Amino acid sequence: MKRLALAACLAAAVAFAADDPKQKEDLAAVIALQGKPCGEVVSYTVQGANDFVATCKDGNKYRVHVKDGRVVVEKQ
Amino acid sequence: MGGICGVCGRLRGPHDCACATAERPREGGDGPCDGARARAQGCARTKNQGGPEARARSRTGQARAGEPAPPKVAASAPALDLRTLEQRLKDTSAIGVLTKLSLKNQVDDLVGKFKTYHAGARPPTLTELRPSFDLLLMKVLSLLQDKDAALAREINASRDAIWGVLTDKQKLAEFS
Repeated sequence: MKRLALAACLAAAVAFAADDPKQKEDLAAVIALQGKPCGEVVSYTVQGANDFVATCKDGNKYRVHVKDGRVVVEKQ
Repeated sequence: MGGICGVCGRLRGPHDCACATAERPREGGDGPCDGARARAQGCARTKNQGGPEARARSRTGQARAGEPAPPKVAASAPALDLRTLEQRLKDTSAIGVLTKLSLKNQVDDLVGKFKTYHAGARPPTLTELRPSFDLLLMKVLSLLQDKDAALAREINASRDAIWGVLTDKQKLAEFS
């Protein structure tokens, strides 16, 4: 039981859903800047430092992360 | 202190603004400037920042033909404005951190293309670079216009000054 709880905690630490409206706007703006369709980010999960998976209102999902000082948007 | 021609982006002396309108092209110049932009950028600045003589000339609308503009003052002024704008863009809370970084990436990419142009490679030509510049500026303005309208206005007013820096090899090297 303890192991299960520990695993759940680790999983939550690796990727957790967040609901900061400013972060959603930031992600939506970044996706739009890269010319990808989204409209509005309805939810996102944090994968790590500067690493997110954003879910758009139109159903598209994008991984937004920083690599070598560049913001990369990848369709999931 | 001079302004920037709305069409060619060339620096003008303080006395040039008086006659640089769309209706009445500047004598001996390289074509008419957009009247509204010339007033918004060049002439407004001249009234505020020029010396007493320049202010007097602006008020009366008289220009001294053949008088050379002070080149050192005119060359350094836009760069100072752009530095301030750059800092304000970094500091504004209207744009998120990731968006700022993404914009910086795109600005760096565009500056890289201009450096390629200045190195003598073709393409890109200036005609090809202008739409990229306009699009990037539009992105910046659309991000700012609702939450930091003042900065959006100032960046829009500096459009030609920014273009002037990008298209001048020496100014671009000094700025970047």
